[in-house]
Amino acid sequence: MGAHVLGWLAVACYCAAEAVAIVSLVRGRGALAHLAPVLVGGGLVLHFVDLMQRAHALGSVPYRTLGGSVSFFGWMLGLAYLFLLIRHRERATGPFLIPFVILATAVGLLLPDAAAAPGEGLHGSVFALHVTLAILAYAAFALSFVLSVLYLVQSRQLRQKRQGLLFARLPPLEVIARLNRTSVTVGLAVLTLSLVLGLFWAEKVWPSLADPKVVWALVTLAVYGFLLWMDRRGWEGPRVAVLSILGFGVVIFSYTVVNLYFSHAHSFR
Amino acid sequence: MSAGEARLVLLGWSLRAGGSRSLRERIAFSADETREALERIRGKGLVTESVIVATCHRSEIYGLADGETPRERIAALISEWRGLDFAELTGSSFYREGADAARHLFRVASGLDSMALGESEVLGQVRTALRVAREANASRAVLHRMFESAVAAGKRVRTETEIARHPLSVPSIGFELATKVFGSMDDHTLLVLGAGETGALFAEQAVAAGVARVLVANRSPERASDLARRIGATAVEWNAVPSTLAEADVVVGATASPVPVVRHADVDAAMRARRGRPMFFLDLAVPRDVEPSVADIYNVYAYGLDDLEGVAEENRRRRAREIPRAEGILEEELGRFLGWFGNLAVVPTLTGLQEKLATLRDAELSRIPAEERERFRAFADAIAGKLLHEPLRRLKSEPDASRKLDRVEAIRHLFDLDE
Repeated sequence: MGAHVLGWLAVACYCAAEAVAIVSLVRGRGALAHLAPVLVGGGLVLHFVDLMQRAHALGSVPYRTLGGSVSFFGWMLGLAYLFLLIRHRERATGPFLIPFVILATAVGLLLPDAAAAPGEGLHGSVFALHVTLAILAYAAFALSFVLSVLYLVQSRQLRQKRQGLLFARLPPLEVIARLNRTSVTVGLAVLTLSLVLGLFWAEKVWPSLADPKVVWALVTLAVYGFLLWMDRRGWEGPRVAVLSILGFGVVIFSYTVVNLYFSHAHSFR
Repeated sequence: MSAGEARLVLLGWSLRAGGSRSLRERIAFSADETREALERIRGKGLVTESVIVATCHRSEIYGLADGETPRERIAALISEWRGLDFAELTGSSFYREGADAARHLFRVASGLDSMALGESEVLGQVRTALRVAREANASRAVLHRMFESAVAAGKRVRTETEIARHPLSVPSIGFELATKVFGSMDDHTLLVLGAGETGALFAEQAVAAGVARVLVANRSPERASDLARRIGATAVEWNAVPSTLAEADVVVGATASPVPVVRHADVDAAMRARRGRPMFFLDLAVPRDVEPSVADIYNVYAYGLDDLEGVAEENRRRRAREIPRAEGILEEELGRFLGWFGNLAVVPTLTGLQEKLATLRDAELSRIPAEERERFRAFADAIAGKLLHEPLRRLKSEPDASRKLDRVEAIRHLFDLDE
């Protein structure tokens, strides 16, 4: 399916959810507030069907291609938003998180699926799990990035004793910090697992494991590992938030530059 | 009595600054005096229903009056009862009638008339006023409905706007700021330095708000342990304060000490012991209890009295920005009440008008020969019917409740229906 009608419908749902989320953030409690999760949920269903259609067309997992992987990343992030909302009743992050969902989904739909040249060995459940976990980890780091920016904004407003509209709406610092910690821990665990699975699987297919993407994944692990370590040793607060933002920079770098230019065998194309 | 013959009236005194102090004291109503006043007003037959709203800032007599000059007559009664000069009493009062009287009550219930804009206490006071009047058998359908509607409007205004949301008092602002750092305080520790008036007030509010552990320290230990025992907190030795800091998430400074009692080095050590978990300092003391440089320590937030007053000012502005929305809600609820009340008034007015015309007609008919009366009666009825048709249709279909009420009033006055 070339046109991705369902995918674009999903984007429309996400955009509507964003509009609703912004309005209910500005106006405080309101009847609209319950509409955003419904819209995101609807978008996720449409988006999922679109991913399945893409998988069917590729004769592989939908994230075989770069477009598919970015789209899948957006889907995971949307899921993370729903989780935050349902599990933690955290509404205020919505307007800041949903744009990433929209962006990832739209970019994923716009990137062309290159005439799929089925790479050797790019199938099987181990491969599928490896990629799924890697993308889940990226979604967790993206969530941590958004939370960290909100943390810095909130901390700055408290410190400067200036209380804008956001001040009243954003969650307390310790709550954001706790969500961030969970998010990074999940990302770290899942990325490690993905890496182990990947190495286990690549050992059979590749001649050498010295791959730029593997190296950058290790750098990512190191940054977030350092973050969690320092979080317990007195850096809890703005410094951890800054580290998380840096970490997400590394993720974006390895997802884009390393993926496209350095790592030929090991990339989404 | 029908509502059509009666008007909503309000005679009130604002007991804020201004006006002579003695008058303010003598016009204030205690609960017993309220009951007595209701009794006296009813006894004189000045009103068919009445409710008195008495708060520290206002005494307001709401009534449904059917006689002439209710303002003067109620004021005369009060002046006689309380031994107050009539001119002084009326001079310091304000008077509203009809929709304006109801609107005033709705504003009062919504906190729009309060000094602390949007405060919620007044809602309870309005409810109490109605309860007292009901118990004294002074209120009936109209005022009952008006007060219930005003309370409903007050509740809506407070939940649907932010007029009651941003705290205005220093302790509640401090507490809100602390929850912006820590979230729920029910698993956190708060340390209050100084068991004087401010410290005691804050500690008491903290216990009431459900803070997990409230510690109190005072230079003279008896006051700390007395306070702790009274409110259910824990007393801490004055000398142990520096070492206790690490346990405290929130520290409130409220001592009379001429020098800071919380020093940079102590907080530094406490933060190391806390492994960087944030601390929040609220310095309510003058001069300061917390060294200013404490605010520079990583992950420490410190607010002084000036900061809190700045926030209070900002919050007052924020509440004020909600006034138009609050007034919108209020007018909506007021319209609903006046619509109901107006319909009560329209029907009896129409019947009254028709009866009046019938009397006039019969008086004229009696002067002409009996055999011609039937013909003239039909003639007179046709003219009266045609003449009244359009005005009455317009009156009935008037959508604006308060204008409808005004017009009913005008008809009653012009045709002298209230003899």
